[in-house]
Amino acid sequence: MSAHWSAWLLAATVGLPLAMLLACIWRRIRERMLPLLAVAPVPALAAALVAADAPPFVLGQGRVRLTLALDFPGSILLGVAALLWIVAGAYASTYMRGMPNRGRFAACWLMAAAGCLGAFVAADMVGLYLLLALLTLGACGMVMHEETPQAWRSSAVYLGLALAGEALLLLGMVMLAHATPGGSLLIRDASAVLPSLPQRDVILALLVVGLGLKAGLVPLHVWMPLAHAAAPAPASAVLSGAVVKVGLIALGRFLPFEAALPEWGLALTAAGLFAAFYGVAIGVTQAHPKAVLAYSTVSQMGLIVAVLGMGLSAKETDAPLAAAYYASHHVLVKGALFLAVGVYAATGARHAWPILVPVTVLALSLGGLPLTGGALAKYAVKGPLGEGLAGVLANVSAAGTTLLMLHFVHRLRRSAPGEPGATAPVGLLLPWALIAAACIAVPWGMYLSVPGGTVANPLAPKALWAALRPVLAGAAIAFALDRWGGGRLPRVPQGDIAVAIDAAVRVAPKWGGRLERADEVLRQWPAASLALLVLVIAFGAAMWAR
Amino acid sequence: MTDAATLFGLLAAALVGIGLYALIVDPQPLRKIVAFNVVGNGVFVLFGAIAHRGAGSGWGGDPVPQALLITGLVVAFSASALAIALLLRLHDVAGSATLATDAPAPVSPDGNAADA
Amino acid sequence: MTTTPGGLLLVLAVLVPFVGVLAAFALGGRNAQRVAMGTMLAGLGIAIAVAAAVARSGDALVYLLGGWGVPLGIALRADGLAVVMILAVAVVIVGIGAYARADFGTPPGVREARAPLVFWTLLLAIWGSLNLVFVSGDLFTLYVALELLTFAAVPLVSLDGRAETLRAALRYLLYALLGSILYLLGTVLLYGVYGTLDIALLAARVQPEPATLAAAALMTAGLLAKTALFPLHLWLPPAHAGAPPAASAVLSGLVIKGSWFLVVRLWFDVFPDVVTAPSAQLLAGLGAAAILVGNVVALRQARLKLMVAYSTVAQIGYLFLMFPLALDPASARLEGGGALAGGMMHAVSHATAKAAMFMAAGVIYAALGHDRIAGLAGIGRVLPVSVLAFTLGGVSLIGLPPSGGFLAKWLLLAAAVATGQWWWAAVMLVGGLLTAGYVFLVLARALASGAEAPALRAPIPRSQEAVALALALGSMLLGLVAFTGVHLLGIGR
Repeated sequence: MSAHWSAWLLAATVGLPLAMLLACIWRRIRERMLPLLAVAPVPALAAALVAADAPPFVLGQGRVRLTLALDFPGSILLGVAALLWIVAGAYASTYMRGMPNRGRFAACWLMAAAGCLGAFVAADMVGLYLLLALLTLGACGMVMHEETPQAWRSSAVYLGLALAGEALLLLGMVMLAHATPGGSLLIRDASAVLPSLPQRDVILALLVVGLGLKAGLVPLHVWMPLAHAAAPAPASAVLSGAVVKVGLIALGRFLPFEAALPEWGLALTAAGLFAAFYGVAIGVTQAHPKAVLAYSTVSQMGLIVAVLGMGLSAKETDAPLAAAYYASHHVLVKGALFLAVGVYAATGARHAWPILVPVTVLALSLGGLPLTGGALAKYAVKGPLGEGLAGVLANVSAAGTTLLMLHFVHRLRRSAPGEPGATAPVGLLLPWALIAAACIAVPWGMYLSVPGGTVANPLAPKALWAALRPVLAGAAIAFALDRWGGGRLPRVPQGDIAVAIDAAVRVAPKWGGRLERADEVLRQWPAASLALLVLVIAFGAAMWAR
Repeated sequence: MTDAATLFGLLAAALVGIGLYALIVDPQPLRKIVAFNVVGNGVFVLFGAIAHRGAGSGWGGDPVPQALLITGLVVAFSASALAIALLLRLHDVAGSATLATDAPAPVSPDGNAADA
Repeated sequence: MTTTPGGLLLVLAVLVPFVGVLAAFALGGRNAQRVAMGTMLAGLGIAIAVAAAVARSGDALVYLLGGWGVPLGIALRADGLAVVMILAVAVVIVGIGAYARADFGTPPGVREARAPLVFWTLLLAIWGSLNLVFVSGDLFTLYVALELLTFAAVPLVSLDGRAETLRAALRYLLYALLGSILYLLGTVLLYGVYGTLDIALLAARVQPEPATLAAAALMTAGLLAKTALFPLHLWLPPAHAGAPPAASAVLSGLVIKGSWFLVVRLWFDVFPDVVTAPSAQLLAGLGAAAILVGNVVALRQARLKLMVAYSTVAQIGYLFLMFPLALDPASARLEGGGALAGGMMHAVSHATAKAAMFMAAGVIYAALGHDRIAGLAGIGRVLPVSVLAFTLGGVSLIGLPPSGGFLAKWLLLAAAVATGQWWWAAVMLVGGLLTAGYVFLVLARALASGAEAPALRAPIPRSQEAVALALALGSMLLGLVAFTGVHLLGIGR
């Protein structure tokens, strides 16, 4: 085991939430755990600041070892994710106060936190799988917390799809582990050997589908609007903000960026850009503000996957870093917007504007409003996206994002506010203000701290105008839709393609009934003993054929 | 010597076949127990034939299968005894002895199974 | 082959439980339970000693009964496979004994009660028979051990004396006898061809002749009937669901593994050159059908114990998936290795997890007076430990890390990838999803907080819940043996 102190920080990233989770076994501690939730991600934040590219933390001897390590893109995402978990934890302790089952919620929260933060630092495949499984269980528990019929349905869809994705991911990992020389289970080694394998395409397909399910790539996104809308506000914030990024960072680590894979790059880029527009198209038909935000996440995840895809086809090893920078901005903004939904619901109409103005700024920053972190993020991914069709489409998608975000603000305003004259409690306002400020401060801070990055570039009039154009276009379309489109948009159910799952669930009992009747027939004595004799003959024949 | 072994071998095969047929087809448990014994006896006759065929010169039969055969007879006997004891007890408790698979327990409208 | 130092431990491993049986029966009454407790501790110690001896010597333990050499004498032999099973069985039996103390204690004021006396006596008999199955070195001793196992297990099914459990027990007995007589027929044929029944000697002499093929087919099918592999599973659901919970735990967790171990022994040690790829695919095909049908029917059950019994039907399928994966394509014979390790790990992890699940189901039944799944709403608040034990056992069966089920799944998937048989990989993954279906169904019902908490019919001894949780935790943490780097399985092979 490495004795370097930064390695111990990495261990504490997973260790502290896990230890708090184990303490939740005792009911008295569990009931009081809620205020302590904000403490659990602190080692993760510290690790993100100091442990990037540090020696890894290794547990165990023999062939199977648990390894925790942090690369630079991972450290960016870990830092903002830890910040979001801390802020959302503080928010949750006020939001959930007095609600039933808060002990259970705290336990699920800690499970999800351990899994999410741990997955950012997991460097070997088995550890990653373990943490993903933990994350799925915790997130599912949070989604079903309110126990409404919608929450049950959402958590069932989420759990089913997540387990299916993990099953495919497991198969891909086993195939990779089998082919890696020396039996190493490190993701880094597997990714290095991947381009030269004969089953490369199968493995890549399994990894993309499995991790794409986690990241919400269309058409594997159907669980996201259901889950993120059904969960309580702080849970939605971390789910949409931090949890989906786990799939992204894992994808960024598995994909072999040193080898040029043009077909896969093209496929990922196409899928990502399709998702970017699809999320906007379905999102504007949604009425619930949380559902709109969820579809915006679908759209943004698509864009980030497109960045990774362009990097894969152009052999750009910088693509994961650009994607991580873009994703980190999205972590903060989406978290802040989900928390704002809860704050708005507790605020009276008179005090609504001090909430709505920052919300609008944050929402527009997602579309790339100049001088915000969003503009910096879009500027950063211009490089990998290039000047061709992908770059143009990405610019257009910025307009779509602006449209969607204005739709969100519109739906938020229309949603029921709190009692007139009420203000949200400090326990909700303070964390929200903190993360809202971080949305501007952190991207600028990261940009300014990178040596060689000049401030002049993003502030040049040409760059400002290029960033402003899509925002104005999106605002114009939003205005037009509001004026003349009105109620003419189709009603798309939350979770769009998920209705296919509902249809399958309706058909399944019929087949289950048939199997059960077949089983009953086989369990009659004459059938079973005849089957025994038939098997004797069958085995004899099978052994005869050599 | 070969003729006797072959004859008894065919007899054993016939016994096993008859026993298996009755075991599969006849619904009464007592007949199944008797059929199991017939199959068992067929296997033991086969064992005896093999003992006869594998005998060394001057000996009537290979002693190892005879020892195993006796053990098998004891095992079959205790198996039949256990089966008949269960059958008698079933008859006492249920009034009739049949192996028919239980019909699924009737469920009344409020969801209570009859044998809860 | 000569007796190795430490070989006497093998005799003790078989003899101590049977001495316990005789003493329990002779002393009767309350002493039966005391004798059983003492025997269990002694047996656990012997199991650990056997494992230590094998690990230290690095070779199999052998004991020649009476000092007579094979083929005239009988040899007891414990290689890595046997040692792993002996240890696992000992641990689970001790757990079941601790659980059953509350259910099968003789009531005060009564000198002797039928059910407790029978239970303790037969529990020890099952243990002794299982040990004999694991250490026997020749096929006829294995037949005797198999029959002992069946005779000891059948009365446990009908312990409560109701008509339907008696019927289930009779059906079990007759079907198991059908299986074992086919096994005996195969043994007779093998003796007729090769003149010996010792496993090591047979392995050297066996050739793919028609009589050997017939013997292999008969023995395999007969053992499959005793293991209740689909479609020969007719006796298992009513038997395991109707037995008392401690008995169900033994039957589902351990008794099944006895006849399965015999299939492993036969295919890997006696017939590695005789079995062909089609026969191994047929065996795994039956296993895949078991996984599919067992899991789907389990999802549709209304009663918890029947659901767990059908889950056993499905998990038995996993045990047989390993055979084509162990078939080395180059040499066309069964080689031990990753697939064998995966199968053994699955057997051990299933034994502990299923015992825990039946124990938890038994606690719930005793507490509520019924085990209808629809009526379990809110049970998580009054019986949290049992629900946790049930969930952890189920999670191990689904195959989430760090459970033994995950390690088994990883090893089997690796073998499937290595031999290019990706269809068995798909079967395993689908099976995991279906298992997740019914485990989370029960968990969601138990954690639902809408209805008010159900009232407990009877006070539940904390020790019962604790044992269930301990076994479930054991199953969940079994995957961590991969970190230790201990290799018991390959010794003596």
